[in-house]
Amino acid sequence: MMKGQGPVVKVQELSKHFGSNVAVDRVSFDIDRSEVFGFLGPNGAGKTTTIKMLTTLLPPSSGRAVILGHDLRTEGRKIREQIGVVQQQDSFDQGLNVETSMDIYGMLWDVPKTERRRKIEDLVHRLGMEEFLRKPTIDLSSGQRRRLQVAREFIHDMDLLFLDEPTVGLDPIVRRTLLDFFKERVREGLTIFFTTHILEEAEYLCNRLAVINQGRIVDVDTPENLKRRFGSAKAVEFKLLQGTSRELASSLSSFEGVTRLVEDGGAGVYRATTARPESVIPEIYRQAERLGLTVSSIYISETTLEDAFINLVTENHKGEPNGGAMR
Amino acid sequence: MNTYLRLVYRNLRANLDRASLFFELIFPLFFIFVQGFGINGIVPPFDIGNGRFVSYSLFLAAGAVTLTVINGGTNAGTQLWFDRKNGMFEQILMGPFTRAQYILSIILATLIIGVAGSLLVFVFAYPVVGASFSFTLGGGLLIAAALFLGTVFFGAFAIALSVALKSSETFQVVSTFAFFVFLFTSSVFFPASSAPAAIQAVSMLNPLTYTTDIFRAGLFGSATALTSVELAVLAVEAAGMFIVAVLAFRRIRV
Repeated sequence: MMKGQGPVVKVQELSKHFGSNVAVDRVSFDIDRSEVFGFLGPNGAGKTTTIKMLTTLLPPSSGRAVILGHDLRTEGRKIREQIGVVQQQDSFDQGLNVETSMDIYGMLWDVPKTERRRKIEDLVHRLGMEEFLRKPTIDLSSGQRRRLQVAREFIHDMDLLFLDEPTVGLDPIVRRTLLDFFKERVREGLTIFFTTHILEEAEYLCNRLAVINQGRIVDVDTPENLKRRFGSAKAVEFKLLQGTSRELASSLSSFEGVTRLVEDGGAGVYRATTARPESVIPEIYRQAERLGLTVSSIYISETTLEDAFINLVTENHKGEPNGGAMR
Repeated sequence: MNTYLRLVYRNLRANLDRASLFFELIFPLFFIFVQGFGINGIVPPFDIGNGRFVSYSLFLAAGAVTLTVINGGTNAGTQLWFDRKNGMFEQILMGPFTRAQYILSIILATLIIGVAGSLLVFVFAYPVVGASFSFTLGGGLLIAAALFLGTVFFGAFAIALSVALKSSETFQVVSTFAFFVFLFTSSVFFPASSAPAAIQAVSMLNPLTYTTDIFRAGLFGSATALTSVELAVLAVEAAGMFIVAVLAFRRIRV
């Protein structure tokens, strides 16, 4: 059980260096009990390295962390006894089928046999694993393997669960089933540290989000506040009658008011992120006229968490060469 | 259940390939029943120490039993490779276990495979060696010590090798080559004393020489004062290789 009544996770100035490369740079955050804390960041931002430090797999280079009341540096074993981890990479016992693999994983955690049987039955039913229960783990699809990884973690008791992009490779229905399953466990008292690339997922599941970029935490807030604060830019979506135009895209991308321009699926639909739609919309018409193109539709769309995330990360890139913590 | 028992049970269930185990047993039996009897006719019985004369087939049968020690060692490296390749290495280390417990569990699983394999081969080889085998407590202890220390050495060697090499395919190739070197510079196939000087020198460093000599001494009651020295050297080599394996294991990047 957790010692004291403080946060479940308390991280102060935690860093990890690999030679001269700084993978994680003085990150600090707290996670409360029954909270889902999201960790968002582009590839190589330091998400997995942070998880590896917090799960005691990697020793930190500097800084401090207390997890479930135990010091990260001196009480690793006690921490590991109370956590669960679903890794980003596959992890499975190749010589076993799904059912035996879950049973032996439970046995590793010293869960009594009758309890293992009961939990496996429940998890298999809840996560829809009946069809591949007797299949050798080596023959599973990546989505099935991921479900196995998640399911077996719930065979043992834990107070804190680390999920490193747990829904990669899953179809939308299974993904939603899993997210709802996590939510249910959180209501029962579980705390979750969650990394993902899928921002809708983060918005659906997380109470708070930390945005990490180049090893540093750029901001920590609720998804709603992040959208409000950093999603002030609007997205202007427009469609060209003639389809795509590389020239138009090029000239608009270099227009001062446009933060980002993306083409949507080659159908001539563009999405321009901007803080000043009132100056961007006339510019779209000006450029279209110059190139002999016709804008068939145009509208300003709502800010998404993705807009906020991109604004945060790009602002961080532009602001300080080495990143910078923003509160 | 005890932590080590849980880990060892899991290693044996999850990482052992039954087909490989079967052929690891067939391999020494092939030497005993094909090579041993084939060469028996052209090699007269010879002295293996303490005035004890044995036929070549008997000599080789005892050596072939210790081959399972090497096979057990290969299994230790393979277990580690499977876990690294399949992500279970990190998964276990993020569970309620220490690195020391994990590596010891692999060595213990290897010991079980090595000793059980040797016993099985011995049972199959009993028609050849049985008549010359008279069990004594001292002989039994020598056999147990040889199998234990030999398995620890080769298990630790395979672990160190699997940490040093970058892919499981390279590990298979290099370990097979290394074990052939151990095999043919030991006293499994011929007495080291009858080999050319260069091979004799290498065999003096080779732990398989000592494993096999001690095993034979226990089996045939041919122990001499030299057997104690061989036991001491094998113990030092096994301990040294175990330390190397632990140090190498600590360097595995996760």
